[in-house]
Amino acid sequence: MSVGGDKAAQAARPDAHGRKGANAPGVSVIVALRNHGAVLPKLCAGLMEALAEIGEPFEIVLVDDGSEDDTFAQAEQLAHTHHELRAVRLRASFGEGSAFDAGLKVARGEKIVYLAGRVLTDPHGVRALLDRLQRGADLVMAWRYPRRDSPLNQVVSRLFNALVNRLANLKLHDINSGMLATRREVLNDLPLYGDMHNFLPVLAARQGYVVAEEKVAQLPGAFRRSIYPNEYLRRLLDIVTVLFLTNYAKKPLHFLGFLGGVLALVGAAIELYLFIYRVLAIGPIAGRPLLLLGALLLVIGLQMISIGLIGEMIIFTHASDIKEYNIAEIIE
Amino acid sequence: MKRHADAKGRNSRRPMVSVVVPLFNEVDNVRPLVAALVETLQNARLSYEIILVDDGSTDGTAEVLREVQAQYEHIVVIRLRTNFGQAPALAAGFAHTRGEVVVTMDGDLQNDPRDIPLLLATLAQGYDVVSGWRKRRQDGFLIRRIPSMLANRLVCRVTGVALHDTGCALKAYRGQLLRRIHLYGEMHRFIPALSKMEGARITELVVRHHPRRYGKSKYNLSRTFRVLLDLLTLHLLMRHVRNPLRFFGSIGLLFGGGAVLTLAATGIFVGLFSADVSALNVLITLIFLLLVSCFQFLFLGLVAKLIVETGVRRNDYFLDGQATSAVRGRA
Repeated sequence: MSVGGDKAAQAARPDAHGRKGANAPGVSVIVALRNHGAVLPKLCAGLMEALAEIGEPFEIVLVDDGSEDDTFAQAEQLAHTHHELRAVRLRASFGEGSAFDAGLKVARGEKIVYLAGRVLTDPHGVRALLDRLQRGADLVMAWRYPRRDSPLNQVVSRLFNALVNRLANLKLHDINSGMLATRREVLNDLPLYGDMHNFLPVLAARQGYVVAEEKVAQLPGAFRRSIYPNEYLRRLLDIVTVLFLTNYAKKPLHFLGFLGGVLALVGAAIELYLFIYRVLAIGPIAGRPLLLLGALLLVIGLQMISIGLIGEMIIFTHASDIKEYNIAEIIE
Repeated sequence: MKRHADAKGRNSRRPMVSVVVPLFNEVDNVRPLVAALVETLQNARLSYEIILVDDGSTDGTAEVLREVQAQYEHIVVIRLRTNFGQAPALAAGFAHTRGEVVVTMDGDLQNDPRDIPLLLATLAQGYDVVSGWRKRRQDGFLIRRIPSMLANRLVCRVTGVALHDTGCALKAYRGQLLRRIHLYGEMHRFIPALSKMEGARITELVVRHHPRRYGKSKYNLSRTFRVLLDLLTLHLLMRHVRNPLRFFGSIGLLFGGGAVLTLAATGIFVGLFSADVSALNVLITLIFLLLVSCFQFLFLGLVAKLIVETGVRRNDYFLDGQATSAVRGRA
């Protein structure tokens, strides 16, 4: 079956017609693809094989995020031959987050497995993830092990994981593995937009859900390049995102105000020192770099505080949309 | 949000009062607290509901709450998935209140439930918020009472809400008003101020205060700084939320004026005293600093105005009586 646009949205709600037929899947595997035509048949075969053993109806939703190769043709072909497979095509490349979201809208299962085509983890790992989910976790991350990657990539990855774990109070080995299993209700509670799918474990843990991990092997073709400069930069910014998500999302001034306040105070102290220095006629200050440094710190500090205030205004004007708590149960 | 009103044969009409108590690791306090609350509310012949919010306790509070809920009537237990903090816990409780009056109190037995009927009587005199005032506080003098006194002065000055004890958790609100207030971050400390923004009439009442019997206090001094920053936010919100350009713009113009004055001073220096260029460096640095800040604040003011104009609270106000929902529909 091949769906897109409005049809996709309709297909997502088969229960509305009251036919919760025998083929309503319990597990939906969403695969985000972009120029993965070459590996798709093998990936799908592996997934089908693994899922056939879980003893539960399943479906695989292939989302093509505007590939330039034959990914969608392949996906369509596969969907025609296997009734468990469905193919969705986005009109252009909107990014992995959008592909995931589109897949979620189409998926009908209660349990959701997400697999990013880019990471090429072993599809048989799906079973380990679903098992762990069954045993009482709310979200299970794949941990690519043994890791096939260049030493530099592994070091960067370790640093990233260590930092995020520390900030978000987690204990995961591979936060960015691009493969996970969870339940739909968990995803419904999380704010998903833009790049947020990268932070699902952080977001879920923040809401009080149990986050676990399972080791999953990598396919031979997974190791492609030894360095990804853009990726490293993105990770660095991701850390800032995590810091905000976990601690300051609803109180920007607590973060920016503190930082800005400290910087402005240091700047003010420097200028005061120079002022006294000049008044006591110890020496000239005009040529001193310290003068510029103090001025710079003052400006940056003030700027941070005022940006923090702007952040608070944004939060306040949207306060009615904010729900910071997550209710486990109501007994009445 | 299931309501088993009929199934359990409860009064499905709005109760007179909803008591909301956020609880975090108060296992020993739950039973005496609920017993005292039920006794007081029944003696006062009030229709009531007690909403106990378990904010991710780890000491078995959840189990005790379950037992208490089964034992007494009109008790709602809301269990949060993890510890979210006071403001989100209160927000969760408020969202489930139905009462004409909502009373908040701490779960540590330091507040006395017997004060609730008195709060309600005061509210009935035509107020929207009645705040408790622990005139004879049973806490450490140096680390609790002195900082609290200073904080009260400051909060009072910034928010314009004249209360002796804003930190007292025992407060009563008109339900219609409270359900308009959206708590987030650490705004639970400033519900009177947020109420005032909605046009509430606020007063206070001296209440009893007992020393802590079980469990330990969750207070620490380090939050002072965050409270100060929240006060800065409140100042902006309360005085300038309808026109933030005025706030940011006047700061920007102040800097701009400073730049012009410095420029004039520099001109005079050069013209009259033909000062050497190296001494001018200081003045030029100052002019740059002032100009950058000036433009920055002006543009931030514009951004702030944009935020307010696109925000959801535009022209949102609280009317007396039932017309409220109609007005809110447009906002």
